[in-house]
Amino acid sequence: MLSLSTALLMVTLPCLAHAQDTVPPDADELKALEERVTRLETAPAKTFLSQFNPAMGLALDFALLDRDDKADFQFRAAEINLEASVDPFVKGWAIVNGSEGGVEVEEAALETTSLPWNLTVRGGRLFASFGRFPHYHGHELPVIETPNSIDTFVNGESRGEGLEVSYLFPTDFYLSATAGVFDQIGAENDRLDIAVARPFEDFTYLGRLNAGADLGDDHSLELGISEAWTPKRTMVEDATVTGSPFATATRKGTWRALTGLDLTYRYHPSSGGLYKGVVWGTEVFVNNEQRFDPATRLPTDRVRAFSGYSYAWIKLGRRWRPGLMGDLTEDLDSARKLTKTYTAFLSCDVTEYQRLRLSFSRREDNVPGTLVSNTIGLQWTGVLGYHVHGFRDR
Amino acid sequence: MKKLASPFVAAVLLLSSLPAWAAKPLLIVATVPELADIAARIGGERVRVESLAKGKEDIHQVVMRPSFVAKLNKADAAVYLGLSIEDSFLTGLLAASANPALRSDPIMQCSGPGCIDCSQGMSVLERPETLNRAEGDIHPQGNPHYNLDPESGARIARNIASGLSRIDPANAALYEKGLKEYLSELEPKVRELKARAAPLKGVKAVSYHKDVAYLGRFTGLDFIATVELKPGVAPTPTHLASLVAVMKEQGVRLIVREQQYEAKTVDWLAERTGAKVAVIGTMSGSLPGTRTYLGLCEANLKALLAAAGKE
Repeated sequence: MLSLSTALLMVTLPCLAHAQDTVPPDADELKALEERVTRLETAPAKTFLSQFNPAMGLALDFALLDRDDKADFQFRAAEINLEASVDPFVKGWAIVNGSEGGVEVEEAALETTSLPWNLTVRGGRLFASFGRFPHYHGHELPVIETPNSIDTFVNGESRGEGLEVSYLFPTDFYLSATAGVFDQIGAENDRLDIAVARPFEDFTYLGRLNAGADLGDDHSLELGISEAWTPKRTMVEDATVTGSPFATATRKGTWRALTGLDLTYRYHPSSGGLYKGVVWGTEVFVNNEQRFDPATRLPTDRVRAFSGYSYAWIKLGRRWRPGLMGDLTEDLDSARKLTKTYTAFLSCDVTEYQRLRLSFSRREDNVPGTLVSNTIGLQWTGVLGYHVHGFRDR
Repeated sequence: MKKLASPFVAAVLLLSSLPAWAAKPLLIVATVPELADIAARIGGERVRVESLAKGKEDIHQVVMRPSFVAKLNKADAAVYLGLSIEDSFLTGLLAASANPALRSDPIMQCSGPGCIDCSQGMSVLERPETLNRAEGDIHPQGNPHYNLDPESGARIARNIASGLSRIDPANAALYEKGLKEYLSELEPKVRELKARAAPLKGVKAVSYHKDVAYLGRFTGLDFIATVELKPGVAPTPTHLASLVAVMKEQGVRLIVREQQYEAKTVDWLAERTGAKVAVIGTMSGSLPGTRTYLGLCEANLKALLAAAGKE
């Protein structure tokens, strides 16, 4: 077996002989050359320990919103994303977001990469796999403002602290099941103080089934059903408001069920890549919950309310993407109150890492006497460094 | 008892001595059709090969379809170009496919025993000296479009054969045989294409995307600029105006449009400069007659010779 250095010598010798014409290298020169090649061949790779540092990216998101002739520049996100393998079995990521509201850790989670039986476990603070858009980060949505149905029913993104397990069925089409347990779900969900320890029946249990299939070369359809079930919660009457001598605690019959159904159709002609196509997505939520008076914290009614949105997004080419969205949201306390929001939007992908978006939204309630609200928005988003969208959030 | 035992023992011996080819074929998932073509030639009946891309897509923008996750979940191996060219879809798909043999890796795209990176040992061109997105959507490890150089075919084939032998050592001899057979067809054809490309040497050209460095190395074409402002950045009116001036000044008579990019701007440019347009494919299956890797190489060369008037 020839070593690389010997092989190199064999190759270089004729060249040397030719270059120096009739003077062949002597033994010392050959030895020196061999030593030099060996040193190069066995030299350690030029690197430094910080190359183990995670891949890092930063998403910046700003908007100008003019709502009913009152305008506001919004610093929506400076979102740092860190991601790397922890070891051969687990990867981890953290997303820290600074905005007008302050700085917070949006996600800090670990996920297995090598479990057998098609299982994946993720845990920590993460966007739970509830629905479709609820686990999108704000700047990745097709519209500037989060749909009202998600804000009202999920309470912002589906963020929670907990653990979820996914199983990918070994079928010829995509079929995945997820089960999880979380402190609670919803980034702005204030039903519970999650910093306090409590019985497991006060946790939120998540189940999701997600299926997807190609319909020929250019079309695909995905369907998902999610359920977030919270068996119990405790609400203590505010005696300072009611004047009662004893504060009553309500626990019986306080279960909450939030159900989501999502359907996404995609048309992407294979010759157009991501540049051309149509995406139509619809998501419906049902919230069934014992409601409480916000002032007295005494139980009022159990209300089953519905909400949902539907949108279509046309990709005309590399840059332009117009779309429409309609959102209907019933009031969680009174299902007869309905808010309708209609949004038209136009995105311009200046490059893959910079986007401008213009939108117009009209929001109206079915309550007589309430005002119609119109919002014009301009959003500017840019991504610095590492940024990859996974299959779930595409 | 002896009478009963003898047929049983014979059956066990027969089953245990079944040749290796009787085993279930390996499922190989290739990212692009030319890699599927080469893997199928090398693996023969020992492999079942599927491609994610069909050939007409922009390799940087292949859509993640639900069926791709199911395929990668069952795959014994993933064959890919590497150098981060598939990072917009492969890493995301692998992360969802829950296959421990094919783990998602943000740098290598794929890590695990089933990963076959065809860029291994490739002589990589246009390695960026600095990384800055002001230079467009550049690939940190260098230009990944080596599949456009027919001379890369042999290295790709060797990498695939080596990967298959690693995953399925019992059939290494079969893969080696498949490799030799494929190379015996590939290498003379590549020499023939090289000879046919000789008239293109020194001809100045413009391409839509900066993916032709290896094609330029093979043909001798001198690519002086791109229609895109920067890699992955659509052309601006100012850039196009200056490109017209540069092309006129340098006497560029050839524009190479990769079939996945829009024709309108290129046709406009051709009209302004009098240059001819050659439409080439960047993947097998992108154009008629390009079902195989060699078919793609030959079709591209024919298009270039015809547009350059060197037939």
